[in-house]
Amino acid sequence: MSREAPARRGAQTQRPSSGGRWRSWLRHHRAMALDSARRLLRHPLSSLLTMLAIAIALILPAGLWLTLDGARLIDTQLDESATLTVYLEQGVGGAEAGRIEEALAAQEGVTNARLISAAEGMVEFQQALGLEDALARLPDNPLPASVVIRPDDPSPSAVKRLAGGLEDMAGVDEVRLDLAWLERLGQLAELGRRAGLGLAVLFGLGVLLVVGNTIRLAVENRRQEIEVVTLIGATHAFVRRPFLYSGAWYGLGGGMLAGLLLSLGGDWLATPVAALAASYGAGFALPGLGLAGSATLLGCSTLLGWLGAWIAVSRHLAQIRPR
Amino acid sequence: MIAFEHVGKRYGGRFDALAHLDFRVRRGEMVFLTGHSGAGKSSLLRLLMRLERPSRGRILVAGHDIDRLHHSQVPFYRRQIGVVFQDHQLLFDRSIYHNVALPLEIQGAEPREAARRARAALDKVGLLHREKALPIELSGGEQQRVGIARAVVNKPALLLADEPTGNLDPQLSADIMSLFEDFHRIGTTVMVASHDLALIARLRHRTLRLHEGRLVADEEVS
Ligand SMILES: Nc1ncnc2c1ncn2[C@@H]1O[C@H](COP(=O)(O)OP(=O)(O)O)[C@@H](O)[C@H]1O
Ligand SMILES: [Mg+2]
Repeated sequence: MSREAPARRGAQTQRPSSGGRWRSWLRHHRAMALDSARRLLRHPLSSLLTMLAIAIALILPAGLWLTLDGARLIDTQLDESATLTVYLEQGVGGAEAGRIEEALAAQEGVTNARLISAAEGMVEFQQALGLEDALARLPDNPLPASVVIRPDDPSPSAVKRLAGGLEDMAGVDEVRLDLAWLERLGQLAELGRRAGLGLAVLFGLGVLLVVGNTIRLAVENRRQEIEVVTLIGATHAFVRRPFLYSGAWYGLGGGMLAGLLLSLGGDWLATPVAALAASYGAGFALPGLGLAGSATLLGCSTLLGWLGAWIAVSRHLAQIRPR
Repeated sequence: MIAFEHVGKRYGGRFDALAHLDFRVRRGEMVFLTGHSGAGKSSLLRLLMRLERPSRGRILVAGHDIDRLHHSQVPFYRRQIGVVFQDHQLLFDRSIYHNVALPLEIQGAEPREAARRARAALDKVGLLHREKALPIELSGGEQQRVGIARAVVNKPALLLADEPTGNLDPQLSADIMSLFEDFHRIGTTVMVASHDLALIARLRHRTLRLHEGRLVADEEVS
């Protein structure tokens, strides 16, 4: 009966070897990960609501990020189609226009040049405006011939430099470049990026608060248990561990919900977005999260959940510690 | 094993709960701590568990000044002490077995070894057959025995108990006390706070009597 009775040797016998300590550390992590998951599942509805709150906080910055990703795609499309239009002087004839086109094509920094004669310009103009009848009644063609140039370097500053050089050529009246709205789009994208970053920080804080509050309640519910295990020699790490896992699970669940809602939302918006893009002659589709994006989202949300739990438990442990 | 050197404890900067405590407890000794309610018994035990720190003097346990422990060392210090509480402090959401095995789980003991030791401790207090029960299904005396099993499952060198028989009838109280005597007999240093004077007198162990925070009697029994 007393073969296991307390011995005089006392506690000195209980220091495990370092390998054993490592194994027991892993064992406790595994046990706590499972235990906290079970606790979450025991109250599925409230767990789901917490995860939903996290998901909602994650969706806005993640959605904005996706949209910006899409805008970056447009950006490169636009860069590829960045062109200059060189209007020739009124009265430059067909043969001379052809010579100027060749001269322009030979310029440094020009990838290719395409001549649009006055007549072709008129046809395009009529088609674009639908004013066929009115324009047809004009006695002669008021439009000059033009040459559309695709530059080697599509960046706004390089295009500006190129335009300056071309303006001095004989027979050239004016060089038009539509940079203003390109620049405006760039500024808009920058604004979006900053707003996205700000929102991400703000809503990240939101996730911390949601998880922190949930964990605070969990800690409160298990206060007696925390006191008891502290009394019998639990370290802070030991006490914290199950709550950190709960926070991480909440974060992971929230991230998964956010990913799901984002892809559902993307499908829902896909048709109108494609129609809108088509009306501008652009091929634009909302990009999905992809593998890397999903991994980033889940990683961030899990980390946020863990961090929120850490803050909540640490604040509480300081109070509970029987000092 | 334990040495109090001019220990005082003051709460809230004005009230001396303990003052001028100076005594030693030898390794393997069994000591009762008595005194009226509010005399400072619990405060003394809380100092030993390092739940409180002395306002003056020092407390040596196994030769170490426990006030000098870094707070990260405190959990490891507590693992060497078994503590029994008047309200047993069992966790009601888990079985008797898991309550008793809790200190081993905290220390990261190997599960099979932990199971062996937890069952042995339950066997010692005569509750092995109830290992699967929940604390709520047990009587007060049985719950207290579970608390004792949990306190000794580590084989601590020092066993502290604060009014372990406070809520029990005389027969159950005697049973509990004889359990403590068993541990004393195999070499554990035991310190039991109690105001059950009749029971203490019958058991004939050294008794420290507190009155308003001061040690007023130290009665050795040969
Ligand atoms: N945390 C505390 N803060 C202030 N006073 C306390 C605290 N703990 C105990 N006391 C006071 O110290 C005195 C001794 O209490 P205690 O050690 O619990 O005595 P006992 O256990 O012998 O009944 C009592 O007057 C009590 O009110
Ligand atoms: Mg007391």
